[in-house]
Amino acid sequence: MWTRKASFTFAGGISLILIGMMISNHQMMILGLSFVAFIVVNSWISGHGDVEVQRTLSADNLYKGDDLYVELLVTNRSSRRTQTLEVYDNVPHEMKLRSGLNQMQMNLGPGESARIRYVLRCPLRGHFSIGPVSLRYRNTFNLSVEEMFVDHHSDMIVFPQLRDVEEAFIRSRTPKMYTGATTLRTPGPGTEFYSLREYVPGDPFKNINWKAFARTGDLMINEKCRDAVTDLYVILDSRDISRIGTVLKNPLEVGTVAAASLANFFLQRRDSVSLIIYDEKLSYLPPDTGDKQHFKILSSLAGVAPKGAMPLQAVTNSLAARFSRGSPIFIISSCEGDGTVPAAIRDLVGRGHEVTVLSPSSIDFERLVSRIPRMSYEVLKLERQNRMTSLAGFGSQVIDWMPDMDLSQALLQVRGY
Amino acid sequence: MAVEGNSKLKRIGLQFAFWGVLVILFGTLMVNFINFGQPNQLSAYDDDWDDLSAFRQDINDMGIKTKSLVSSPLLLEELEDPRNVTFVIAGVERDTLSLPQFSGESIITFANEDGYSPSEVDAIVEFVIKGGTVMVFEDYGYANTIAEKFGVKFKRAQLYDTVYVHELDYNYIWTCMQLSPCGMNGTVIDPGTIESHSRWNSSDPLTGRHICAVWADLMALNGTTVSADEAGLCAQHHQNGVIEYNASYQMLLNNITAIDITESSKHSAMITQAIRAVSSSEATIDMNGDGEIWIGSGLNADTPDLWGQFNLSVEVCASVTCSPFESGGRVHFIADGSALINAIYDYEGYNEGKYGPITKQIPANDNRKWALDVIAEALMELDPATGMPSGQPAPTAMVIFDESRHVQSNIATDTYNMLYFVLVYFTGEGLAKLLLFIGLFVLFEGVLLKKKDPDPWRHVFSIIYYGFGDANRYSYYAKSNKIKQVFLSKVRNQNGLTREEFDSMPARELQAMIADPVLVKFVFENRNFTLEQTVAIVKRIKLWGRV
Repeated sequence: MWTRKASFTFAGGISLILIGMMISNHQMMILGLSFVAFIVVNSWISGHGDVEVQRTLSADNLYKGDDLYVELLVTNRSSRRTQTLEVYDNVPHEMKLRSGLNQMQMNLGPGESARIRYVLRCPLRGHFSIGPVSLRYRNTFNLSVEEMFVDHHSDMIVFPQLRDVEEAFIRSRTPKMYTGATTLRTPGPGTEFYSLREYVPGDPFKNINWKAFARTGDLMINEKCRDAVTDLYVILDSRDISRIGTVLKNPLEVGTVAAASLANFFLQRRDSVSLIIYDEKLSYLPPDTGDKQHFKILSSLAGVAPKGAMPLQAVTNSLAARFSRGSPIFIISSCEGDGTVPAAIRDLVGRGHEVTVLSPSSIDFERLVSRIPRMSYEVLKLERQNRMTSLAGFGSQVIDWMPDMDLSQALLQVRGY
Repeated sequence: MAVEGNSKLKRIGLQFAFWGVLVILFGTLMVNFINFGQPNQLSAYDDDWDDLSAFRQDINDMGIKTKSLVSSPLLLEELEDPRNVTFVIAGVERDTLSLPQFSGESIITFANEDGYSPSEVDAIVEFVIKGGTVMVFEDYGYANTIAEKFGVKFKRAQLYDTVYVHELDYNYIWTCMQLSPCGMNGTVIDPGTIESHSRWNSSDPLTGRHICAVWADLMALNGTTVSADEAGLCAQHHQNGVIEYNASYQMLLNNITAIDITESSKHSAMITQAIRAVSSSEATIDMNGDGEIWIGSGLNADTPDLWGQFNLSVEVCASVTCSPFESGGRVHFIADGSALINAIYDYEGYNEGKYGPITKQIPANDNRKWALDVIAEALMELDPATGMPSGQPAPTAMVIFDESRHVQSNIATDTYNMLYFVLVYFTGEGLAKLLLFIGLFVLFEGVLLKKKDPDPWRHVFSIIYYGFGDANRYSYYAKSNKIKQVFLSKVRNQNGLTREEFDSMPARELQAMIADPVLVKFVFENRNFTLEQTVAIVKRIKLWGRV
């Protein structure tokens, strides 16, 4: 593609030739021809983009707000010089350049390499991809420029931040509300001794109490207490209405942080955690423990986007049968725009679940971006308080979560916290 | 994938349609100006029997440059020494492109129905005024735009005469370059009727005596002789070491027409119009071209044809005497486009089969002599010291053959000629120059405005996004009915009542439950509240129920 300079030179050349013909001025015609010839000759001398690129990331998964170190190695594979080669690494616009530059102009000889290093900050959760690498090469006189790209991508996931909620539970007056690995007073597989009993065929030899056998002459078996874990269900509201607020502060964004933090807290206590996200559809991650479950939950939360308007009762109706009996349920929702919330919570409580509603105050998030008249705001708040009160009236624990409130601080509102 | 495929097909289809339409449009335009399948003739650069290569060869042999003009006679304006240039138009076989141009009255015109545009005709006139010589050989073609500017007009209908060549056919007419027609004696020209050229035979050089005659007089006076090689431009008159100038010309013409003299549109600089050859007084012209001659006392539908004596050659000069010693040039009009074709001009070569198979022998004629005499008069060098003829061509002598109005043998040549014509038009015609200037200006503006260099790459960090709530509800939440509904919900919640229980509660009980006269009044009185009152009520509602 010609540059502006080339276009001007060519148009000027043609004009000079024609005007020279008009006024029979040979010098002018020759000058015009020279311009045109200059363009033609220059079109034979061009750079190229035959380079190899290799990108190295400091991490494939990181948490929101973390820094990512990127290194791009560019190598000229051709036997010609690249001429003026501009290399630009396409970075998602949600990421901020913290240091260095994601582009460089270079003129690489055959086989030569150059490195571009830069640091990105990732202020938004999500699934991102760095790349492709755009190349732009020009000829010596900057008369032509060609663009191409190398289809080299590096995928990465930015998880929601994890907040420390342990403090809230330690400071609570009922610190063992959700107890993690709980020892049940029933025999079964576990670690703690329960009782001795006589050997029956099929018992593993490793459970034989050899001392008791020596003492009594009968084979006796060590029975252990059964270890059990608590199943915790986290239901996250990702409906379209949860986008209200700024991009960094909105009910969905703080909700993902809360869900990730709670999941992290309980998984560390060896509980099983399940994640349910509802927006235009329902996604259900069955309860499980361990790092793998942790990764699954964080990945799911990283990809959550506000959309749809599925009612909560549709979620609870479809999943009620899967909920372990009596297991605690966390509902993270602003409870806005959904008339089925009270009924859904009443059903869950009625089934014996310990329901906690963590409700980001959407009207206060809305206030961050929209000028709400004072009186309307007060009435809206009153209405929200009524809604919270009615939910509490059904037996759930309701947390009214204000935008400027830390998660652990919000959790302290629940009952004795 | 299927959608992508359809889109690709659609794109290819659109591209095909676009280029197809463009080719059709261009083809339609070209077909109007390119004559497929027509043989080329009357070209100085082909050597068929109906071309002019023998004439061009003779000129070259005399040491005169020849050139062809394939674009437009506008280029005649560029000549530095028109005095020593002869422009030969042999048959105007096609019309010009109808491009807009300024007419003589500075009005923009499009239509050029006959051969040359006004600018081209002006260029030819200017060329003649500056001393150039033009030879126009035409019969039924498009040369009238030029002719009219010089005060003559071709009839463009075939002339039949009793003075025809019997051994050939009635299309071949004998014409003598003299004021009275030569007559026939049986099947040959009666020698008694042959006279001399009316101007070239004059005795005084300043009244138009032919320059070869002047040179011969000069040599006779000096007692010098010349060899055939030294005879230069007068070699056709060389005999026995001297120039024996003979001013009688017995010319053979083929499929001729007649020339009228019309003063009306003649250019003011053209001073002299002289008839140089005429038909016999028994000639007829088949005006309607039906192959039959019907003549009456007047012209009407039954007798549309003409009878009488007609002009076959006219000379128009930009000087009084047409003499080469005067400054202006001259134009020779001959009523036959094929007067100089190889078959007639070089009849000896033709009869020997030099130009292909022959059917009949062409009789001897003076066409070559006449043509070379015109060239001699136009291009002979005058001694700068004495002003006398030197017999040799001027160093800058040149003969230009107009090929721009000839049908070419192949499409590429025709296309090249047309494009060259357009180029010359845009750099020579006043209006086109103006248009070209505007075009160049627009081109520069276009480049300036539209041609952008690629934007520099820059990473833009952009997460500035806000999700708004429904602002329309703000006014709804300021209405007293909505406030009342919110307050009653608060009352119901605070007292742990179901909706049904609350709805069935007596008013007195509700009033007691509210226990605030202002709020009771607010709930039970249906009236409009001022803004201040509403604000006060909302404040009260907020405080209500707090212990």
